[in-house]
Amino acid sequence: MTAVTDLPAQQARLTAGAQAALITVIVGAVCLALEGVVPWLVKWPAAWELPATQWVGAFLDWFLNGIKPAMRLFSDLMTYPMDWANYVLGNTPWPILIGIVTALGWYLGGWPMAALGFLGLSFVLASGYWAESMNTLALVAVSVPVALTMGGAIGILANEVPRVKAFVQAVLDIMQTVPTFAYLTPLLLLFGFGPVVGLIASAIYAAPPMARNVMLGLERVEPEIKEAAIMSGGTRFQQLFQVEIPAATTQIMVGVNQCLMAALSMVIIAAVIGGFNDIGWEVLLTMRKAQFGESLTAGLVIVVFAVVIDRMSGTLATERKRYDRRVVWAILGIAVLFTAAFWAWLPNPSELTVLDPMAEAIDSGLTAFTQANGPWLDALKNNSLFYVLLPLRIGLDQAVLPFTWGFQWTPAMSYGLFAIGAAIALLMAWRGHLTGGLVVLILIGMLETGIANLPWPFVLTGAAALGWVAGGWRLAALSVGLLCTILVSGLWERALLSLYLSGAAVFSCAVVGGLIGLASAVWSPVWKVVRPICDMLQTIPLFVFLIPVLMVFQIGEFSAFLAICAYAVVPMIRYTRHGLVNTPDEMMEAAISSGATEWQIMRDVRAPYAAPTILLGLNQTILYAFAMLVIAALIGTTGLGQSIYLALGQADVGLGISAGAAMAILALIADRMVQGFAAERRKALGL
Amino acid sequence: MTDVQTPAIACRNLWQVFGPGADKALTDALSRSGNDAGIAATDLRENGFIPAVQDANFEVREGELIVIMGLSGSGKSTLIRCISQLLPGTGGEIRVDDENVMGASKKVLTDLRRKKLGMVFQHFGLFPHMTVAENVAYPRRVQGVGKRERLARAQEVISLVGLEGREDSFPRQLSGGQRQRVGIARSLVVNPDIWFLDEPFSALDPLIRRQLQDEFLRYQATLEKSIVFITHDIQEALKLADRIAIMRDGKIAQIGTSTDIVLRPVDDYVREFSKDVAKGQHAKVASVMRDEAECGPDDPGLTTGMTLDAALAHCMELYEPVPVRDANGKVVGTVHPSDLAAALQVDEA
Repeated sequence: MTAVTDLPAQQARLTAGAQAALITVIVGAVCLALEGVVPWLVKWPAAWELPATQWVGAFLDWFLNGIKPAMRLFSDLMTYPMDWANYVLGNTPWPILIGIVTALGWYLGGWPMAALGFLGLSFVLASGYWAESMNTLALVAVSVPVALTMGGAIGILANEVPRVKAFVQAVLDIMQTVPTFAYLTPLLLLFGFGPVVGLIASAIYAAPPMARNVMLGLERVEPEIKEAAIMSGGTRFQQLFQVEIPAATTQIMVGVNQCLMAALSMVIIAAVIGGFNDIGWEVLLTMRKAQFGESLTAGLVIVVFAVVIDRMSGTLATERKRYDRRVVWAILGIAVLFTAAFWAWLPNPSELTVLDPMAEAIDSGLTAFTQANGPWLDALKNNSLFYVLLPLRIGLDQAVLPFTWGFQWTPAMSYGLFAIGAAIALLMAWRGHLTGGLVVLILIGMLETGIANLPWPFVLTGAAALGWVAGGWRLAALSVGLLCTILVSGLWERALLSLYLSGAAVFSCAVVGGLIGLASAVWSPVWKVVRPICDMLQTIPLFVFLIPVLMVFQIGEFSAFLAICAYAVVPMIRYTRHGLVNTPDEMMEAAISSGATEWQIMRDVRAPYAAPTILLGLNQTILYAFAMLVIAALIGTTGLGQSIYLALGQADVGLGISAGAAMAILALIADRMVQGFAAERRKALGL
Repeated sequence: MTDVQTPAIACRNLWQVFGPGADKALTDALSRSGNDAGIAATDLRENGFIPAVQDANFEVREGELIVIMGLSGSGKSTLIRCISQLLPGTGGEIRVDDENVMGASKKVLTDLRRKKLGMVFQHFGLFPHMTVAENVAYPRRVQGVGKRERLARAQEVISLVGLEGREDSFPRQLSGGQRQRVGIARSLVVNPDIWFLDEPFSALDPLIRRQLQDEFLRYQATLEKSIVFITHDIQEALKLADRIAIMRDGKIAQIGTSTDIVLRPVDDYVREFSKDVAKGQHAKVASVMRDEAECGPDDPGLTTGMTLDAALAHCMELYEPVPVRDANGKVVGTVHPSDLAAALQVDEA
């Protein structure tokens, strides 16, 4: 702590960042020093915890019971369209459905889309999961209109009543951060087990993107277009429905696309509660039975659906050519003729086993692969666990054991580590990077202690300091206030565990994604390869990410870590590349004509200019990581995600909602802080 | 002057203040300052309000084209939006055909817009999802006019602006000049008495701009609408205007004919605008004419409507006053050739 003693003289000139870091260092040091004497300073005593989860549970039980009759009525009403959709999709002969999708593909996007629809559904047919897929599709088909109507109505309402707007925006923000599983528990209580829960959950989950895009679209209609509608003498109703909404179509169609994808994703996640024989359930079942070949086939069916729905609805949001309708009729005619001609010979799609050999081949291939590469894979997994994840989680002082590292961590080593840290900090402070030095010291302290064992005063101070630097006193107060609710509710340790795993994943994503984004920006062939992969990863429903990691690394934290990274790395890549590529031409030209080298341009011009965009990418990565954290609980994580998942199994609303709220709080704070930094960078660049 | 005629538009003490609770703030500021607009505006600014239009007073006579000029941020766009009631207005009166429209009900305003007002926008404000014909016909569509009827009328104005053959194009398929023709056609489709044009030609290339200005003058010659025209281009203002109002920081600095603005600017701000203008091409002989009857023997044939340049060319060699005739050939006054030369040199002094 010698670094601190000679500083007060300079105090007057300290930057905000340095002050915040300094306070954090001091609090951390005090906590460490008093660890032995005052245990409550490190670990929040159980006696101080409030039974908040039980209170929340009791309140929600009361509330949910109150609205239960109305909801049950609604659910009974929803069964009609659902049964109907199920009946129609389940009983239409498959050649006709394939014909309809192919014709729709042609109408929306010409031959490429028609081919995509045809091949996609043919794959589904061949997989033998036709009936399950149709059940999933029936749920989507009913939930999407509900979500579109709700979302559209909310968006329009927010646009029309300015007072409601801020409120709606806040609710949508929160809904985006609340993990998907957390929705399910109260719904389970309201509607009981069954497909209606999946339906309603997906309608609720899919409505916000629609509402958001409707609001955004209406907001972005050029003011002069709105004024022209007024000056034409239109009533408000005419202005809205004849001018503003049509003028916002492109953005609204983006909302429709996102709404469809969200509904599909949620329907599949809702399979966790079971009760309906859909494709998500199939994945889960085969995964539990370790039949990875079949699991992967079913997963691919989901991916095919996602890709077909996404690409087809995506064409709605772009300006498109008109395709000849006669072809549509021709395709439909062929489908009907085919059905009529081969009616007697049409195979029952559920009995198709064309892809079974593939599943078996995957299974045997996988076995062979894991056997052949077993030692190598185990080494990768164990090394990552022992040398990276575990120290991060419980700190070097506990993670370094003879069993893992080959020697025992001693207090002397801790002192040595701190001394090195202090030396680095001093050196950096002497070279003028005081803030950087202090941050190094903080990071070394965190590594020694482990994120899960961080003293709570240190976490609160750190959050306050970061919040203060990123967004002033208000953000600092908000962060501390929200974190305190987690602290007193008894979910603190689980929250820290979640923080550790998502933190590790976000860090890896930032490094790996940043590098891939950089490579894609400087060398376009890389982007040609990376781009379709990114598109693919963003289309796949969360659930499917679990299959391949499970196949290779079995259940455990490392698999969860990998699944989170695979999902969350995409925005980091995209935003990094986008930011770097979009440096204004005249800035580049100015740098080149000043005689800067390629590398100097990257370091001095492109990277600083891209910084706000890259920060937004990091922000998305954080939100993605939190979203996946809960799903990853299915294959073994600890922390809040696990609590939410357990609560679902036990229908424990209090725990489910509290843990969901805690998760949302962490995501919200991270989001606001990164946004704050990004806003500050943008302001500094005058953007 | 024909003051008996009611003006098409009259603004009295018009204010537009931005900020939460602007209505009350304006009333308070005015009562504190004893109705002094300047002091009230300073007061409002100090309290964080933005007085975008301050105490505007002017009239647009029937069939008159008034141009409002100013730099960006001077409040001219706000003023036209105030008059057209796209902005509510904070204080004062706007009389359209002697009826106060400030704070009028939605229904009254909608009715007014359907029958009497037309507006053209700087960036055209065309509806991207409608064809040219549908765009032009839209003001009639909102009135519930049947499709065939409204498209027939749209066809008339589309021909007027010379866009025959492009009826089924979408705005994105048109050039800037063509888009603004659509905007003009749409604003004329209900045959309004009052025409608002908000920098209609500013977004266009200089050549297209001049072409549209000429066409605009041609329409106006036959249509004779009462017009409020916004621009930041002094050449455009001088070319089109009957009268010009120059705005600065939300106030109307000067209002008068082209000659007034060019030859008798009230302050440096206005002078700065007309600095680059070739005065001889805009100021008329009438502005330097005297009532004296005595004049020299020469009669170079000057008329009141002649520009100073033209007049000067006629009496290059003359040193004595010459007679000036009106359009009917009647002598109405005299001009000293030296006055002609002096008028052109106002600024060099």
